[in-house]
Amino acid sequence: MDSAVAQKTWELENNILAAEAPDPSSDSIFYYDEVAQAKFLKDKPWANDPHFFKRVKISALALLKMVVHARSGGTIEVMGLMQGKTDGDAIIVMDAFALPVEGTETRVNAQADAYEYMVDYSQTNKQAGRLENVVGWYHSHPGYGCWLSGIDVSTQMLNQQFQEPFLAVVIDPTRTVSAGKVDIGAFRTYPEGYKPPDDHTSEYQTIPLNKIEDFGVHCKQYYALNITYFKSSLDSHLLDLLWNKYWVNTLSSSPLLGNGDYVAGQISDLAEKLEQAENQLIHSRIGPLGTSRKKEESQLAKITRDSSKITVEQVHGLMSQVLKNILFNSVGQPKRNEQPVSDPMIEA
Amino acid sequence: MASSSSSGLTFKLHPLVIVNISDHYTRVKSQMNPPPPTSATSNSNNSNGGENNQSPPRVYGCVIGVQRGRTVEIFNSFELLYDPSTHSLDRSFLEKKQELYKKVFPNFYVLGWYSTGNDAEESDMHIHKALMDVNESPVYVLLNPAINHAQKDLPVTIYESELHVIDGIPQLIFVRSSYTIETVEAERISVDHVAHLKPSGGSAATQLAAQLTGIHSAIKMLNSRIRVLHQYLVGMQKGDLPCENALLRQVSSLLRRLPATESEKFQDDFLTEYNDTLLVTYLATFTNCSSTMNDLVDKFNTAYDRHSRRGGRTAFI
Repeated sequence: MDSAVAQKTWELENNILAAEAPDPSSDSIFYYDEVAQAKFLKDKPWANDPHFFKRVKISALALLKMVVHARSGGTIEVMGLMQGKTDGDAIIVMDAFALPVEGTETRVNAQADAYEYMVDYSQTNKQAGRLENVVGWYHSHPGYGCWLSGIDVSTQMLNQQFQEPFLAVVIDPTRTVSAGKVDIGAFRTYPEGYKPPDDHTSEYQTIPLNKIEDFGVHCKQYYALNITYFKSSLDSHLLDLLWNKYWVNTLSSSPLLGNGDYVAGQISDLAEKLEQAENQLIHSRIGPLGTSRKKEESQLAKITRDSSKITVEQVHGLMSQVLKNILFNSVGQPKRNEQPVSDPMIEA
Repeated sequence: MASSSSSGLTFKLHPLVIVNISDHYTRVKSQMNPPPPTSATSNSNNSNGGENNQSPPRVYGCVIGVQRGRTVEIFNSFELLYDPSTHSLDRSFLEKKQELYKKVFPNFYVLGWYSTGNDAEESDMHIHKALMDVNESPVYVLLNPAINHAQKDLPVTIYESELHVIDGIPQLIFVRSSYTIETVEAERISVDHVAHLKPSGGSAATQLAAQLTGIHSAIKMLNSRIRVLHQYLVGMQKGDLPCENALLRQVSSLLRRLPATESEKFQDDFLTEYNDTLLVTYLATFTNCSSTMNDLVDKFNTAYDRHSRRGGRTAFI
């Protein structure tokens, strides 16, 4: 009973709107209506509106599979396909599976035997009762954020010409583990030559220096979709019960240990950016006042935001270490004044 | 039929397998009971839909993973076709799927099979025996899909098969084994994410709150479990409960493991890490300060611009 109270208090404190606990009737999302899907595919309402699809719903299973696969690749990019269906202006991802391809940045398309794999897999799946079609592909960007690189953009544009409806999802497993929350993005490209109506600003994320050019050149050619997650009633019931066994893992996780080199890489990248910003600042004093200054300011502000992000993650990791130390190590030692870890709470 | 296992193998189950099985079951169930169509004539359809609830289907599949020594770790699973006429699993399908999975996960091999239901049945032994030529000692993972809000334990049981002599005839029977939930960091985070829908993004304050509440609930669980043990021991001391020596030995060995690490080296490393983090914090505060200073200087220059034609103080109004 204690755990139930703890969970409720936690949910209350975090303003978790009890997203209506999925009941058996809402499991209807799992039903694959062949007729309705075929009709939708024939109608092609997206052909006229490049911005047609606005939302993505990812099932618990698909998310779990994608994140685990992405993480298992380590620092190598991995890719796979997603299966699902569409629902009005939303693309629903029910499942995902991995593809046996070597991930290199220069690869444009999966090799021939990946296609064979895909066909084989889809066939066996249909036999086993999964009737959905492939609705997208996912790949990982270990350590450098969720966005589409130049190659990715051209691949996705090709996909959107011939395999509509198609979605591109990018996952960063390193940042996921480091930040403690899933780093994922869903994108669709605009067709060639289309100018997006409004200059929407996407959520800021740090991009390492060596990739920032690639990001900047292509960032206007695609747009991000809103991602929500869903799970079945059985899933949520099981996940609730899982917490009874899971709390051990939460307590024993040590994010600091796993991510040492990633953090070191981030800090050195930040140092380079700082040098760049410094050079720009020095040069701008000779140049005209006004607008050019704004650019460096935002550069320095960006650096500040990045540095505080790194710090916050580090401090979180340290906090759990200190807590564990207090819990498990200070038994039998004379009580001494344990200095509480002061969290600077840097506001960007 | 189910007693406790004596094979000495430890089983580790990944949450992905549980979600996989649950998803398979939900899919099959919803294809069998299509939701009532949302049309004007839905009244009669609704009652039909309600009557259509057949008994929950049984789904079958295969579990794959790694076995290292005495530890069996189950990582993933996939669906299999069940042939009701021969009461066995479709063999060629299994081999095809196994090949596909081998390409992507070359380390995993078939460890056993899974199914849904209440309890292990006699017919399951048939399937179990068929799988024995793939893996000489397969495991049987059983998930009970009935949602029972009163139960506090995961409705997943793992069975092994053992040769027991019953009435003079050696027979294979299912014995229950215990298992632990094993996970990697990435899996844990995504399970957390989906299970509790943690607030994502937001300022440093919300992230801090999320992190700390996570740890807080974990510690609360630890506390409640310790209390249960404590009450049990107090009862034993008073004589209300029978003295169980095995349990007492376990508790005492557990207590003797605290403090967890108490070497000089650990303290040194721990303090070094502590200092490193504080150093990073210092640097970040430094950067923040210099950025604010830069802004201040720029604003000052703009406000008291000596080069402008208006000259002198053109202060912001």
